[in-house]
Amino acid sequence: VGNYAEPRFLPCGDLALSVELGDEINRDVNARVLALEYLIQRKGLHGVSETVPSYRSLLVYYDPATVGWDELTRSLRALWREARPEVLPPARTVEIPCCYGGELGFELEAAAKTLGLAAEEVAWLHASADYYVYFVGFTPGLPYMTGMPERLTIPRLDQPRTKTPPGSVSIGGIQCCIYSVESPGGFWVLGRTPLLLYDPGAAEPSLLRPGDHVRFRMIDRAEFDKIAAAVAEGGYAPRIERV
Amino acid sequence: MASMLVHDAGPQTTVQDLGRRGSLRVGIPPSGPMDREAFLLANRLVGNADDAAGLECTLIGPCIEFADERWVAVTGADMPVTLNGAAMPGWAAIEVEAGDVLKLGAARSGVRGYIAISGGIDTPPALGSRSTYLRGRLGGFEGRVLRKADCLPLGPASGGAPAEVHEEMIPNYTVEPTVRVVLGPQDDRFTKRGIAVLFEAPYEMTQQSDRMGARLRGARIEHTRGHDIISDGVPLGGIQVVGDGQPIVLLADRQSTGGYTKIGAVCSFDIGRVCQVKPGQRLRFRQVSVAGAHEFLRAYRKEVDEAITFPSP
Repeated sequence: VGNYAEPRFLPCGDLALSVELGDEINRDVNARVLALEYLIQRKGLHGVSETVPSYRSLLVYYDPATVGWDELTRSLRALWREARPEVLPPARTVEIPCCYGGELGFELEAAAKTLGLAAEEVAWLHASADYYVYFVGFTPGLPYMTGMPERLTIPRLDQPRTKTPPGSVSIGGIQCCIYSVESPGGFWVLGRTPLLLYDPGAAEPSLLRPGDHVRFRMIDRAEFDKIAAAVAEGGYAPRIERV
Repeated sequence: MASMLVHDAGPQTTVQDLGRRGSLRVGIPPSGPMDREAFLLANRLVGNADDAAGLECTLIGPCIEFADERWVAVTGADMPVTLNGAAMPGWAAIEVEAGDVLKLGAARSGVRGYIAISGGIDTPPALGSRSTYLRGRLGGFEGRVLRKADCLPLGPASGGAPAEVHEEMIPNYTVEPTVRVVLGPQDDRFTKRGIAVLFEAPYEMTQQSDRMGARLRGARIEHTRGHDIISDGVPLGGIQVVGDGQPIVLLADRQSTGGYTKIGAVCSFDIGRVCQVKPGQRLRFRQVSVAGAHEFLRAYRKEVDEAITFPSP
């Protein structure tokens, strides 16, 4: 469903092309994008320097001195035939502690009102779901996720904020995201995680990777402060499991 | 360890090398010099490897004191260069000694100036690169712009020789450039007239431009239906057109992905030229095919490789 019968190759200047695999946001199309990227990495495709996955397409950077358009699209088409979700290594599940409501989740009450639910119910529903990271991008370490219970589907804010604190766990439409750096935002902020989604000092600056699963764990303010202090000292290891 | 001291930094001077690779997939842009050609030639003038780290300065250059013997070269924007107060040429290797003070003034034309120092700047690499990504506080010197009294570590210098860039290869930034564009990935979301306008009308550089993108102003580029797309990867030079019909050319510190239509992308070999257009100056776009762009790229690389005259042995 949503997959094209053949991939579309779209020019992106002289050093990149976009491989588009479908026309909608769904898990199967995205898994094929990630599988294609994985096969490119594993096979070390000649002349390809970098890849950037998104919902339904893979941006491929290449050097035309090494590989031309025709040869590259031929190789990509061949890999696409093998690019099934099953080729991917087991996904990770990352646990993200989140303190809902209060000053950290400053739009929980308003979101609950808009949805016609109690604030506690919104927090509970949000924390009970399994989220899937389609891709990480826009700003460093920012995950684009779905998996929210349908009852939390909510229009975006009419008036986007100019500043959203990093770590803000937010919802808009059917999506959930966690702001990774201070930035403008149009999603409702339900809570905040003390974890750093982007840590420029870390060997691997982004906590999340495309294809990860995320589970939120509800914490209170005291635990938030305790974890935040441990994170600041570099003494907190997030819980990560292989599914 | 050898070092150089910043007496005065200028408004936005950063450490850059050729940029980082492989981190766009987690939202971290490559960074690196906005004008890759000028940066590369500066490194080659002082005998450095192409990927040695140097300085990029913006509109006004820094004032730097050296602590040992080095070769330096200044390229890019036309900034007056002095060594201990005496005028020096740009686009040429200059020999400096301990205690010498190099100063770059305000750009007469162009925007970004480059300083290469033999041995290169030896700040710790982050994700395999010394390039500064300002918004992400990553790489370079403490992930930030340089300030007065910063002391930059330098790598071991390995000789050097007088060398200069051929005069005809030194760009004239006062003229209105025409930069080449490949249509796509979302050119099908624009009307025929919208596409025609892009290649006919001049566009003016605005003050809101930065290392992330060049925001241009000019004739409105017309969409067929809306400007939103399912978010996808943003290539180097991608020309994003939002609801107001105005183009933004996305550059070294660009967002990795975005949800707006991209009518085309400026070719890599013309990106540097876009980055030297001052606010208020204009530029024009010209359409090329992918195959045509690859021909131009080949010719361009050859030209850059032959741009420097080294002394005969």
